[in-house]
Amino acid sequence: MELIVATVTNLLILSSMYILVALGFAFLFNMLGIPNFAHGAIYMLGGYIGLALISAAGINQWAALIIAAVVIGAFGVFLERFCFRPFVGDFNRIIMVCVAVIVILQTSVNIIVGTQIVSLPPFAEGVLSIGLVSVSYERIATFAVGAFLLGMVIWFVNRTKWGQQMQAISQDIEGAFLQGIKVHRISALASFIGCALAAIAGCMIGAYLSLGPFMGDFMLVKVLILAILSGVGSISGIFIAGLVLGALDSILPLFISGAASDAVAVGIVVVLLLIRPQGFFGHEAEM
Amino acid sequence: MIKQLSITDKRKWLKPSILAGLVVIIALLPVIQGSPYILHILILTFIYIIAAVSLRTITISGQFPLAHGAFMGIGAYIAGMASKWLGWPPWLTMPLGGLMAMGIGMLIGYPFARLRALYYAMGSLFFGIGVTYIIYAGGIWTGGYAGLVGIQSMFGSSKVAYYYFFLGLTVVCLLALYRFEFSRIGITLKAIAQSHLVASSVGINEGWYRIMVVGVGCFFAGLAGAGYAHYNTVLSPASFGFMATLWLVMYVLLGGIKSFAGPIIGTTILVLLPEFARDLKVYSPYLSAFLLLIVVFLMPQGLVSLPKMVMLWYSERKKGKKITHVSGN
Repeated sequence: MELIVATVTNLLILSSMYILVALGFAFLFNMLGIPNFAHGAIYMLGGYIGLALISAAGINQWAALIIAAVVIGAFGVFLERFCFRPFVGDFNRIIMVCVAVIVILQTSVNIIVGTQIVSLPPFAEGVLSIGLVSVSYERIATFAVGAFLLGMVIWFVNRTKWGQQMQAISQDIEGAFLQGIKVHRISALASFIGCALAAIAGCMIGAYLSLGPFMGDFMLVKVLILAILSGVGSISGIFIAGLVLGALDSILPLFISGAASDAVAVGIVVVLLLIRPQGFFGHEAEM
Repeated sequence: MIKQLSITDKRKWLKPSILAGLVVIIALLPVIQGSPYILHILILTFIYIIAAVSLRTITISGQFPLAHGAFMGIGAYIAGMASKWLGWPPWLTMPLGGLMAMGIGMLIGYPFARLRALYYAMGSLFFGIGVTYIIYAGGIWTGGYAGLVGIQSMFGSSKVAYYYFFLGLTVVCLLALYRFEFSRIGITLKAIAQSHLVASSVGINEGWYRIMVVGVGCFFAGLAGAGYAHYNTVLSPASFGFMATLWLVMYVLLGGIKSFAGPIIGTTILVLLPEFARDLKVYSPYLSAFLLLIVVFLMPQGLVSLPKMVMLWYSERKKGKKITHVSGN
């Protein structure tokens, strides 16, 4: 019973965090065809900015979460304007810019904080126990934040004018231009939202697990898997792919120990990609 | 007529003789400056040059694999395990590592041949990550997280012997890859990269060529990895992971993916730069990052295009001066 509850909460938390980070990647990838390899490093930076605000500046945790999100969102707008937009459609140069950004961010964090593992103070303390089942409030808080934000994103993309303009751009960018949609403004907005979501996920993971300068590499792999498996142009596909990946990552370690479970998970992903190269929900990217 | 012939004759010999002179200068380096540290860095440069050039060889067919670090790792671990557990000599394990990487690359290339462009890159990226996890999960056989120790070394502790061995290996590999690229097969591969539909309509077996070039590239990557295993005698999975692959791609792109010399220049600069800037200590990664940004924003074709760009700028400046001079009159 204990094991089942732990696995299910782990699955939900991992899935919601993967999806939060992957959405930011998918926005830019769907709209402009930019594979933002620096998204993992942005997620890492979000966690560290949250840590700096809480421990060095002494700000309330929830306020620090929001400030970190805004700061990283502004950084995302800067990246989109000056590093990605000039090179739309040029995979080689985008990957070079992304590696440069990754190196700069990781080196900066290394110099300022050091390579030791640190973690944010928990957002909630105590344990909720109902009968035999007990779940820590920290886990509930992490999942609640993730679920709330995902709900907000779904509402934003489907129900607001800007969200529908984003969908229009990811369907056909030239058509969107002709309809009078301000493509650059919307892509800057998407970059802001995507990077802010990544920063919030970084803070939550920093409190739930820990922070390290190279945690972004691990998350980047998960994000790429989600974006490719779900296919281009599909937001709902990311939710399903995220649940599948979260399930693989939380259930497989019960049966196979250590790195072998990761190897099996990646193997399953490669097989799925070979079965449907264009992803399961969207359409094929033109690149 | 005779004069013209002699000019073309001279031109024909100019490039090879410059390259041969360069190789001789590099070969004389241990005599002039024999510090083991510099030799160590140069040996690593040679190994990565082989890997980077073989990666570029695959890209001439229009495929962009993001698993080359993993293929280096396959070669390195196969050679290291054969050396440690079977006691095979390095002269046997190095070709074995290359051939195993080639075999795995071709086996993977068969199902992956149906993926195109970005999806091929992503599929191979996931495969490379899977290889890293398998090495981690290998337990005692691969050493797991602790790394594989106890591989036989080739020449003991003498760096000079290693230096000449890897210099020779690099020259042979580069000549082989150069011949490969400018042979009929290389031209066929370039045709496939331009349009796979047109290429297959004139009777080129596109799938086979794409698999073959992956095999060739992976062979040299595996060979470089196996050489690394016998040079370093200690292997860690982290040196063949996702970031290692990305850095190999950076070596190729920094120098210029369109030219054969590109990866050689890129590798040399990106491997040597942090070592020459050792005084900067933790700040030295910034140097590589800024170099990448400079190349991205100013030189779309990579560092190889620098002389051409300087010449173009110079001639335009001259022309501009002339025009202003004329209008001034």
